[in-house]
Amino acid sequence: MSVRHGLLALLSRGPRHGYQLRAEFESSTGATWPLNIGQVYTTLTRMERDGLVEQGEADEHGRVAYRITEAGRAEMERWFSTPVAQSDRPRDELVIKLALAITTHPNAHQVIQAQRAATMRTMQELTRAKRAALDGPAQRLVLDSMIFQAEAEQRWLDHCEAVLRES
Amino acid sequence: MSFVRLAQVSRHYGEVHALKRVSLEVAEGELVAVMGPSASGKSTLLNVAGGLDLPTSGTVTVDGADLAQVRDLPALRRRAVGYVFQDLNLIPSLTAAENVMLPRELDGVRTRRARAESLAVMEEVGVANLADRFPDEMSGGQRQRVAIARALVGDRRLVLADEPTGALDTHVSDEILHVLRGRADAGAAVLLVTHESRYAAWADRVVYLRDGEIVDSSLLEQVR
Repeated sequence: MSVRHGLLALLSRGPRHGYQLRAEFESSTGATWPLNIGQVYTTLTRMERDGLVEQGEADEHGRVAYRITEAGRAEMERWFSTPVAQSDRPRDELVIKLALAITTHPNAHQVIQAQRAATMRTMQELTRAKRAALDGPAQRLVLDSMIFQAEAEQRWLDHCEAVLRES
Repeated sequence: MSFVRLAQVSRHYGEVHALKRVSLEVAEGELVAVMGPSASGKSTLLNVAGGLDLPTSGTVTVDGADLAQVRDLPALRRRAVGYVFQDLNLIPSLTAAENVMLPRELDGVRTRRARAESLAVMEEVGVANLADRFPDEMSGGQRQRVAIARALVGDRRLVLADEPTGALDTHVSDEILHVLRGRADAGAAVLLVTHESRYAAWADRVVYLRDGEIVDSSLLEQVR
C-alpha cells in the first residue's frame, strides 16, 4: 500500500486539491495514518510525472485541483483487485519476546500478564474512539480492524498461559 | 460511591472452591467486566453479586444493604437488579411489548404505566418497532434485544450480564454492549461477565478471574 493509491481512490470521486485530499484521507482511515501536506504534494507531483493525475485550474485562493487520468483509474482498479499478501508483514516483536521469555525468564507468566493488561488498555481506548467515531462506517471499520487484531493477541496470550500451565 | 460491594467473598460447593476471598466493588455509573476461562468462577461471582446465590463466607452489600440480612431478597432482586443472560427465553404467546411489561406487572405496576415503561426501554434498546411482534416473528438478535429490554425495564440500578452476546454476530453484539454502556453512563452499576476481550473492552475496568481468584485488574484512567 502506498499513499499514491489512497490518493487515486479519493480522486476517482472528482478533482480535489492537496488539503482536501489530506483531510479526506485521514477521516476515511480513522486518523490511523496521518499525512503531512508536503507528502501529499510530493506524491501528486510524482503521480503527474507518471501520467496518473493532471492539474486543473487554480481556484480564487490559488490552489490547484488535481484530477485522475484514464491511466490513474486503471492503476487504482489494479490495486483494488490485488489482495494484500500475508508475507509482506514484518516479524512480530511480541511473539519473539515471549518466545525468549519462555526460554530464559524465570517468570514468563508475569510477562504475559503485563502484556495482557497493556493490550486490554489499548482495546479500551480503541473502543472509546469507536463510540466517539461519527464520520461514517469507514472510520469505524478501521477501528474495528485494530480491535480485532488486539483481540487476536489477547486470545493468543490466553492460549500461551493455558499451554504453559499444563507443561 | 460503590453500589455493589463484595468483601472477602468465598463460595464453596462441597470440595469445590468456586470463589476464594474475592473483593470487588462496582460504583454507580461504572461498567466492570470480569474475564476468565471457563470454570474460573465468573458466573458464581455474578450470581453472588445479585443475590441469586449466597456466599459461604464474606459479605455482599447492594445499595448499602448486607444481602445476608435482607428480609425480602426476592423483592430487592426484582426492584433493583436486572439480569441479562445468554439464553433469555421470551414467552411465545406474548408480543414483544407484553414480554417486556411482564416483570413490572408482576411487581404490581398498573398496565398503562408498565406499557409506557416497556416502550421506553424498547426504544432505548432499538426494538420499539417490534412491539407488537411475537417471538417467532423475530430474528435471534432481535429476540435477544427484546429480552434485554425485559431485563432492564423499570429502574434497575444494578445490571448483571452473563455472556449477554452469546452466539450473536459481532455487530449485533456491539449494539448490546452499547446498550449496557449507555445504562452505566446513565448511572447504573453494570457488571459484565464475558470470555471475549472485545466486549470487555467496553468496560471502565477489567478484572481477571483464575480458579476463583482475582489475578489482576486493569483500570483505564477516567477520561470521559
